[in-house]
Amino acid sequence: MSSTPVFAAPSESSVESRPPILFALPKGRTAEESLALLEKAGLTGPLDTNSRKLVLPNADNSIGFVMAKPWDVPTYVEYGAADVGICGLDVLRESGRRVHEPLRLPFGHCRLSVAGPKDRPDTPLRYASQPRIATKYPRLAQEFFRKRGVNAEVIGLSGSVELGPVLGLADLIVDIVETGSTLRANGLVEIRTILDVQAVLIINRAAYQLKSKQIQGIIERIRAVI
Amino acid sequence: MQGQIPFGVADYFWEEALQRQELITSLLATFRAWGYGDVMPPAFEYAASLTAQASASLQAEMYRFLDRDGSTLALRPEFTTPIARLAGTRLHDWPMPQRFCYGGSVFRYVDPQAGRQREFWQAGVELIGAPSPDADAEVLALTAEAMKVAGLTDYRIVLGQIRYFGGLLAALELTPDQADSLRWAIERKSEPALADFLRDTPLRTGQRQAVEALPGLSGGDIQRVIDQAERHCLNTEMHRALVNLRGVVDALAGYGVLESVVLDLTEIRSLGYYTGISFEALAPESGFSIGSGGRYDDLVGHFGPAQPAVGVALGVERLLLARQRQSGQIASLQPTPPHALVISHQNPAALAQVQRWRAAGYRLQMEVNGRGLADVLASAERTGIAQVLIWEDEGFSAFRRQSDGSFESTSGEIFFDE
Repeated sequence: MSSTPVFAAPSESSVESRPPILFALPKGRTAEESLALLEKAGLTGPLDTNSRKLVLPNADNSIGFVMAKPWDVPTYVEYGAADVGICGLDVLRESGRRVHEPLRLPFGHCRLSVAGPKDRPDTPLRYASQPRIATKYPRLAQEFFRKRGVNAEVIGLSGSVELGPVLGLADLIVDIVETGSTLRANGLVEIRTILDVQAVLIINRAAYQLKSKQIQGIIERIRAVI
Repeated sequence: MQGQIPFGVADYFWEEALQRQELITSLLATFRAWGYGDVMPPAFEYAASLTAQASASLQAEMYRFLDRDGSTLALRPEFTTPIARLAGTRLHDWPMPQRFCYGGSVFRYVDPQAGRQREFWQAGVELIGAPSPDADAEVLALTAEAMKVAGLTDYRIVLGQIRYFGGLLAALELTPDQADSLRWAIERKSEPALADFLRDTPLRTGQRQAVEALPGLSGGDIQRVIDQAERHCLNTEMHRALVNLRGVVDALAGYGVLESVVLDLTEIRSLGYYTGISFEALAPESGFSIGSGGRYDDLVGHFGPAQPAVGVALGVERLLLARQRQSGQIASLQPTPPHALVISHQNPAALAQVQRWRAAGYRLQMEVNGRGLADVLASAERTGIAQVLIWEDEGFSAFRRQSDGSFESTSGEIFFDE
């Protein structure tokens, strides 16, 4: 029907010039390490991450890089908005997103742990009938306690989780621990490690098959330098 | 709550509803051309039937409720099990093989994601009573045909054979925990997890080599993948899987669809449900699979005499989404306008002429509010109708919309834009 109005695709030209592979990188702490690794692997030169452009192409325009909020990287990749991404294992497991994860990367090392007040009686976690847990990781925290038969009351926070026990909001916390100094400063001790965390390379399941040549090339070049 | 709808369902109307109906119609026409007969199972039935072989995750996603007599019912989460029930309990004495096709909505309690609400549409086929690689190939070739009919120019079918991995698991004699960690590593294509498994699990050399070779057993070079897999067969089960695959690939070559098929022996999502080939249809620009299927020889036997079976289910919304992205066209958010709006003054000769045009395939809307020409033209302009006809004494006069949107009287014979 010629008379039916049809909306054109969002700005034709920007779609055409888009690089064949989109790579989502986490903004913030791990951004520099991610970029250093990708440079070492010869996948990109220096990128101007302060640029206002949303997609930063590498020299031959074969890969476009998108700087995303770390927690959004698994979502971008599962939906195929990005083909490849780098994120922390903590973020990936908490997201529950279905993606391929061929490689672990040699940075972003830390652990996801249960911590509590240092004067807490030394009893197994499973003795508590309904502990209150403050965390940025509600899914992993719930799963950890459920596996031990404990129905925890998980209180989702978006930051400064260690304040939970200090203010009496929670009995325990589940949070990322690197050196433990933040815990100590707040009178907390690590009780149990839930997950050893490091950065991980993730791939969209469809892109893994449909763009297998480019994707395998990226995996090989990164594998060679880790 | 008044006027709202529950989370996970949607109203489709105008062009979106039309596209959906038209796609299902053309898919069903394609399936019928391949000799498949229509089937319409109920929207809900006994939960126990629907869970006959459903995975734990699918069972958790089912909408269940109580009938007034206390029995547990569930909305259908897919079509395969109801069709297997029908064939197993009521049609087991009809000559095999039997072919069924369907199109309709299914219900799953899931977080809405790309092209999938809690009610979503599927169209597909089931081929029951045929164990051969030719039957597998027919369903694969029909899947490829359906992609083309749906208007996709670029798509790929990723083909696996679950018995290769199943045979390997049996040959490795693993504990359940070890089997889980191997399955997890393969499913997520995780090299470090596979390395952990190899480090922690005592294996003989041949076993170890078979596991180490797994990640390489995928690609578009199908012959190479099968040859390579052949070298690591540890038992007849693995060997049979490859014999079946060779048969499927030979038949697919005949259909001329081999170039869109990728073989992946590490595709093991549905271990425990599928018993032979399994596959997913993928399209670039769409991160989720738009259809999946495979061979399920153990399902019909839950309801009657055992029968081998193979089938595919395509996601109607995902097909539409993938087509939109490939064509760059999205549905206009307007009703499809009729070819003309007609002021007939209820004159019998006018109505007879309108009926003749309608019979010839033109969509004509009648003015039923008794409005005058000026009001009708204004209404046509607002709703995108290109022509207004008005009956005057002996015949129709036409007003056609001009490029600037205004309507002008035209002379000569009346015609309609296609």
